Amino acid sequence: MNTPLPPRWAKVLLLWLHPENTIEEVEGDLDELYAYSYQRFGKRKAVLRYLLNVVSVLPPFVRRRKTQYKPSLSLSPDMLKNYFKIAWRNIVRQKAYSILNIAGLSIGMACSILILLWVQNELSYDRFHDRASQLFRLTCSAGDFKTAVSAAGMAGGLQAQLPQIKSGVRISKLSPMLFEVGEKKVEEKRVFYADSNFLEVFSFPLLSGNTATALKDPGAILITEETAKKYYGTSDAVGKTIRINNNDNFTIAGILVNSPSNSHLQFDAIIPMKTMAKWNGDLQNDTWNNFNFYTYLELDVKTAGSVPAQQKVLLQIANVFKARGQDIKLDFQLQPLTDIHLHSNLQIDLPGHGNIQYVNIFLIVAIFILVVACINFMNLSTARSERRAKEVGLRKVVGANRYQLVFQFLGESLIFSFLSLVIAIGIVYLLLPVFKMLTEKTLAINLLDGKLLLSLLGIAVLTGLLSGSYPALFLSGFAPVKVLKSKMRVAGGNLLFRNALVVTQFVVAIVLLVGTAVVYKQLDFIKERNLGFDKSNLLYLPMTGELGGKQQALKASLAQNPLTENFTVISGLPTNHESGTIDVIWDGQTAKNQVVFPSFDVDENFVKVFKSQLLAGRGFDKAFSGDSSSYMINEKAMQVMGMNLENAVGKSLTFGETKGTIIGVVKDFHFKSLQYAMEPLVLRLNKWGGVVVVRTTAGSNEQAIKALGRINQQLNPAFPFTFGFLDKDLDNLYRSEQQMGSIFNLFAGLAIFISCLGLYGLSAFMAEQRTKEIGVRKVLGATVAGMVGLLARDFLKLILIAIVIASPIAWYAMNKWLQGFAYQTTLEWWVIALAAILATGIALFTISFQSIKAALMNPVKSLRSE
Amino acid sequence: MRRTYLGEFEELVLLMIAILDGHAYGVTVSQEIEQHTGRVVTFGAVHNTLIRLEEKGFVTSQLGGATTERGGRRKRLFKVTTLGKSALTDIQQLRNKLWTLMPDATLKLNGL
Repeated sequence: MNTPLPPRWAKVLLLWLHPENTIEEVEGDLDELYAYSYQRFGKRKAVLRYLLNVVSVLPPFVRRRKTQYKPSLSLSPDMLKNYFKIAWRNIVRQKAYSILNIAGLSIGMACSILILLWVQNELSYDRFHDRASQLFRLTCSAGDFKTAVSAAGMAGGLQAQLPQIKSGVRISKLSPMLFEVGEKKVEEKRVFYADSNFLEVFSFPLLSGNTATALKDPGAILITEETAKKYYGTSDAVGKTIRINNNDNFTIAGILVNSPSNSHLQFDAIIPMKTMAKWNGDLQNDTWNNFNFYTYLELDVKTAGSVPAQQKVLLQIANVFKARGQDIKLDFQLQPLTDIHLHSNLQIDLPGHGNIQYVNIFLIVAIFILVVACINFMNLSTARSERRAKEVGLRKVVGANRYQLVFQFLGESLIFSFLSLVIAIGIVYLLLPVFKMLTEKTLAINLLDGKLLLSLLGIAVLTGLLSGSYPALFLSGFAPVKVLKSKMRVAGGNLLFRNALVVTQFVVAIVLLVGTAVVYKQLDFIKERNLGFDKSNLLYLPMTGELGGKQQALKASLAQNPLTENFTVISGLPTNHESGTIDVIWDGQTAKNQVVFPSFDVDENFVKVFKSQLLAGRGFDKAFSGDSSSYMINEKAMQVMGMNLENAVGKSLTFGETKGTIIGVVKDFHFKSLQYAMEPLVLRLNKWGGVVVVRTTAGSNEQAIKALGRINQQLNPAFPFTFGFLDKDLDNLYRSEQQMGSIFNLFAGLAIFISCLGLYGLSAFMAEQRTKEIGVRKVLGATVAGMVGLLARDFLKLILIAIVIASPIAWYAMNKWLQGFAYQTTLEWWVIALAAILATGIALFTISFQSIKAALMNPVKSLRSE
Repeated sequence: MRRTYLGEFEELVLLMIAILDGHAYGVTVSQEIEQHTGRVVTFGAVHNTLIRLEEKGFVTSQLGGATTERGGRRKRLFKVTTLGKSALTDIQQLRNKLWTLMPDATLKLNGL
């Protein structure tokens, strides 16, 4: 059958006016309808209807179908494949640029990962205990003197009276002991006594032995697996005996799992408190006024969770303390177990604490280093944007929308950041041993740990997004017409932004440099500070074992040998002196029990051997028989007591139970870390021993050590010879500062290195862009030096701005840090100037490679191509 | 539940699409309306309504494959979506509910 055709002109009208995207279906439909009416109603009516229908689908009557055109999805496999291909081509084609980028990013990431590992370790302290959140340490303070110890009777007494306290555990201070198994004799330092419920309150598991009874028997001892291996070669040592201090035999009741590195309690052996109770008066009397034990309290869940409830407990503790008839004015605190490692600034505390300040500082440093690395990436990508402008233009012309381009470039930076992550993990593996040495911590990176893996991926994604965001927005914003007509100019705004980024990088680098310099300066200051005595060539021998009982013989043999004759016996070393009392009464005292007086027991030779200075009166002297009740005080004590150099000598002073008189005033000397301000000190005549300190002459140290060893061998054959140098011990006090210094140094160096990578890339790019200009200038007679200057000037300006911004920041930050020390080095302007000059020098050096290369180029080559 | 807004003619077209069950396109819908209601509607009205229904999400459309009919021009075939189906049932339920509410007298009066 012949298909009837509608009027042509109407169809033309339709084709002309009907919306383009629906014309096909509408035309077909109308034809079909025409044929239908043609058959049913005849031609005339069909044409009429057709015309009517056509009009009804012409504007303005017709509704336009929204474009249903579907662009190929960004996530379609083809596009993804294309993105990867382009990204890979870009990486491979611009090798130098890719290496700079990846090196910067991966070093930055490696730094951050290392720091994060360290921070994570610091923050994880003591959290492994099952009831960590319920455990608190009872600490107390008298005025400014804050201490971690409490009295022996408190744990039991408080638990009996306060229902909120579920249990209390006492731990003694660390007491070094000589362990002897067969032929093997070693002085173990990390040993303490603990109450029988120690293992129940703390989660230190036993490898073998009974948790409930292990610490009950006074003749028992627990040793760690490591210690067991050391002495017996096996961890199966339960029931064997250890001879301690050449005196008592202990039976091993259990083997402890080695104390975790993130525990503030570090031990090699634990002895039941009952053993100590055999000879310790504090324990026998359950004393409330001798502060010699660490007391840990387990509170019930409700109290542990609320601060007001804890305040109430503290109030009750104070009341109980008062009710015991203690008139000492003391404040008690409950220190959460998990705060001990980082937030403790107490005296008489267990060694090896961290510092929350350093954790924060390093976290900030980690973030900054990562930012510096990201900035590199941003800078290099935007600087090279012209290279990709054509690609962007073409993609846009073919129909890419902006989101797709943003997605593409972000994806590319993510590829970079993940590549860098892989390399960074490699670097971390390589650097871990070095870092371990610096921090003295066993850090491990365990990639199977889900949390760690997640945070690593997090870092990579964050880095990728951060570094890719600006280039992505910038590149995707190109107008296709402009870039394809090659009319692209590097926009002023872009240049400004890039310059701001370079300035930021150098601000960070300079601040870190100043930080390093100040940390070292402060360390130097502390080491060089006059301590009030001459610390060099002081050799000491602790009176262990039988030496304590043979003092007369010891003194006689020391005096016989010219190498050791210049000796003194003092109660403890002036490194971190740990004891004090407030039970001091003097002439003209206004209020009792207000000030803590540390005390030293020294003998007649003290002033001479230590080369300390007598300001008034005299030192202890054998010629005066009454000196056993005489006291010397330091300047600070004199001021505290309201005396002066004229009237102090001869005043009466009661220290503890002994009433006596002041016979001399010594110039202040430091007997604690320089982090603490000078405290008042009382010196008593030493009648019991302690440590022998020998002043040797320079160069004769070796012989003096040998002589001491022989004396020890004669008098104290059962104990190994131990000795030390006082100045080394003093230096060790500033271990954590030293660590901080070296870590700071490392990261400052890396930050600068990363910045320089970026600078190198930028300068290479700039030099390349200005090839023609340089060529023309050279042809016109510019010198090489002039050209280098021209190229360096732009960067120099930025670095100067960075110096201006960095100086006050560094000044402020380092002043803040120094405030933590009682004795601070001065922060001088030249430190900052030095850092600035150093940064400038390094930057110029970096730039010089490219600028000199560019300046030396033969202008013929650069100009020929046009 | 929010009442679905459908105009009278839209409802009619939607019903037709449902009835035609996969064979609905401009021509068939127009013809069905004409056959069942006796109304002669312009093609434009149907065309616009179809687009509007699709915008509202009651129907989806797809261009059918090229055929030898109509000079090889493709048809745009419409299908009712789930939303469209639920809209239709909603309307029906509402009507039913309203009918049951109506007093018998009214109906009779109306019927007279």
